[in-house]
Amino acid sequence: MNLLEVQSVSKTYGSGETAVHALKNAAFSVPKGEFVAVVGESGSGKSTLLNMIGALDTPTSGKVFVDGKDIFAMKERSLTVFRRRNIGFIFQSFNLIPELTVEQNMIFPLLLDYRKPDKNYLEELLSVLHLTERRGHLPSQLSGGQQQRAAIGRALITRPALILADEPTGNLDTQNTSEVISLLKEASRLYEQTIIMITHSPGIAQTADRILQVSDGVVTDFGRCRE
Amino acid sequence: MKSYLSLIPISARVRRQQNRMTLLCIFFAVFLVTAVFSMAEMGVRMEQSRLSDKQNALTFQDILNSEMGQSLFLAAAVLFVLILIAGVLMISGSINANVAQRTRFFGMMRCISMSRRQIIRFVRLEALNWCKTAIPAGVLLGILSSWGLCAALRFLVGEEFTSIPLFGVSAAGIVSGVAMGTVTVMLAARSPARRAARVSPVTAVSGNADSGRTALPEKTRRHPSAVLPEGLRTRNHAVPAQRRHGRSVCPGVFRIELFLGIRHALSARKNLILMTGSFALSILLFLCFTVLIDFVGCLMPQSAAASDIDISSADGTNSIDSGLAGVLGSMDGVKHVYGRRSALDLSAQLNSGGTLLFCTADLVSFDDFDLECLKKDRVLKRGSDLSKIYGDSGCVLAAWDPYSSWEIGDTVKIGEEDLEIAGLLNYDPFSSDGLTHGSLTLIASGETFARLTGTTGYSLLMIQTTVDADDEDVAALRAAAGSEYTFQDKRGQRTAGTYLAFVLCVYAFLAIITLVSVLNIINSISMSVSSRICQYGSMRAVGMDNRQLAAMIAAEAFTYALGGCALGCLIGLPLSKLLYGLLITAHFPYAVWQFPAASLLLILGVIFLATAAAAWLPTRRVKRLSVTETITFL
Repeated sequence: MNLLEVQSVSKTYGSGETAVHALKNAAFSVPKGEFVAVVGESGSGKSTLLNMIGALDTPTSGKVFVDGKDIFAMKERSLTVFRRRNIGFIFQSFNLIPELTVEQNMIFPLLLDYRKPDKNYLEELLSVLHLTERRGHLPSQLSGGQQQRAAIGRALITRPALILADEPTGNLDTQNTSEVISLLKEASRLYEQTIIMITHSPGIAQTADRILQVSDGVVTDFGRCRE
Repeated sequence: MKSYLSLIPISARVRRQQNRMTLLCIFFAVFLVTAVFSMAEMGVRMEQSRLSDKQNALTFQDILNSEMGQSLFLAAAVLFVLILIAGVLMISGSINANVAQRTRFFGMMRCISMSRRQIIRFVRLEALNWCKTAIPAGVLLGILSSWGLCAALRFLVGEEFTSIPLFGVSAAGIVSGVAMGTVTVMLAARSPARRAARVSPVTAVSGNADSGRTALPEKTRRHPSAVLPEGLRTRNHAVPAQRRHGRSVCPGVFRIELFLGIRHALSARKNLILMTGSFALSILLFLCFTVLIDFVGCLMPQSAAASDIDISSADGTNSIDSGLAGVLGSMDGVKHVYGRRSALDLSAQLNSGGTLLFCTADLVSFDDFDLECLKKDRVLKRGSDLSKIYGDSGCVLAAWDPYSSWEIGDTVKIGEEDLEIAGLLNYDPFSSDGLTHGSLTLIASGETFARLTGTTGYSLLMIQTTVDADDEDVAALRAAAGSEYTFQDKRGQRTAGTYLAFVLCVYAFLAIITLVSVLNIINSISMSVSSRICQYGSMRAVGMDNRQLAAMIAAEAFTYALGGCALGCLIGLPLSKLLYGLLITAHFPYAVWQFPAASLLLILGVIFLATAAAAWLPTRRVKRLSVTETITFL
């Protein structure tokens, strides 16, 4: 069963002569539990594609279905709640809340939903992410890799079906990069989550189940890597 | 670009919208000071010209040296200092927030090798660059406002203001406006400049640009679980550090968005001080200016029964023929004629709550118009029943002060008649200081007075003239009154215009202060939101909805407002009482400070609305931005 269906999604910024076609008729689907790498040059439309899938931005035309639901047919509030519960985000620049500790940052999406976290799951996540010792620290007291691991924890805490990662290793060194990628793959395997990750690294892309290339707004499916 | 400082005007052009509110703050502060000083100088010039016309009148130095004059100048000085503090707070807050929202920008500058010193210079010159437009504009508007006010005083109010200069340019106004603007901006820029210089270059490359600024205090940092909502703390972090450190936020009570909003307000201590100080100062200024209005009310009591012409018997007896009132009332230029009769030192027996007291009493008659005016002037104490006084009745009013022993319902026996005190006046209108000094003065209707004393003649006849009454009409009245009575033309002593002018000025300044406060509040909240817009973007991305976002911003704004209101009331009420005592009770002992409930409710209402607007405007702005725009905001 496909978790994600992208149907003829286009995005155009501006109009007339200054119009920029960031995405042109993107169409593909991703089954549940798949780890997809999105590659392409800077400005090719990778982030735009990810923003559309995550409902952070609206397409000029086309539809996106997540878990069978047309996300752009939803009203603003329902869409926010849907995103909160079903999609996890990992950003290149971490975007943790500076006043909150690692643990609080991780459970933040649950708090927004006025829910209490499952303590066992939280402990498990902290342990998997090697953050148990750092749970009480503020983001400013962590290294880049630790911050990104906390951001991964935040994305995983609601057990979302889909995780979107925009160059999560862009600000990390080689060791942290391999750690983060291993964690993401581990999460994908352990919790059966679908992961779509933008990367510039061919090495990382090769470890994914499947590669999508975006070039000048056109998405090309390179197919499964490990068939 | 000639130097790195050339970036300042470029940055100002690009950030025109964000800088608009800071410019407005400087502009309003300069305008306020220029207008105040210009009007003061125009007032002094007018007074000097009037004094030079009256050789026998008091000199300006005499006015300055008088006790009343000194009280006035002391009050003016206190209010001026308060306005100055308001200006400094407003501009400081604005520049502070302006710098705070560009932490990443300064981090980037440091990254590309701008030294700390250069950053400080950059921030200071940037602030001065704002002065370049805001100060001249503020000064210009201040001068134009003073011209408008002078014209209004001269042509609308008239009377003694006919000699006020129309298009006078006040050097004191311009100098004080420019000096206040420049000095305040330079002072206000000092701290943000140092703060900007301390920004680590790491902030430009890190995703947590605000971490250094908004991080918890060191003590709290050691116990970070303190900010964790109740029930979510783990055993390792069970120490409620906030309670230990006296933080007022109780995380268990609030929802996450409210908790974060309050936390945002409390975490930036300097901003918190500036914001609550700003709110508090608005309340403080409002309460102090309200005392000034009361002061002018005591200084120039505006009685509805104030007469333009008095005709009194030469020997103070009730020898004026009562028929004269009817004759004068039918003449041209006369609006009201009303008279008073008096019988002094009558033997009386006061029965106050069963205690009998033998004393003397003065009995004064008021005609119906005079009695009605007592109600209009609001000089009757609560519980007084004026309706019992009219006509031939057994009831009287009594002058009163806080030291008097008689109350409503007591009886006074004069001759063989028992008279009930049906009402009390707030003060004794027949004594110079408003106090009764223990002597009982009763006010009765003309009919009651005639029955008690058998006298119908007046000791004093008072006339209110119509607006168009001229000297010929007054001459005719003088002729009709005859030469056996003392005729006094008091039209030149009217103070209604002065009172109106003063009250208008005070209200105008109150309006400006309120406007400035409202702008400052809106500006500060808006800047605080701008400084966290990237953070809000990531919160929205991970599932914060618009309602939660609005609640978070509102919680931050209302935390400042509540703190400011509490501080404002805490300082403002005693200061209001102190100022009242200094200005009013010291000179008008009958006047007692009362809790200014109406004024307080009004200013608190304005602050509440301003805070709501302050929270709503940036919330709307953030909501209109897409998540992707806010998340990449730099």
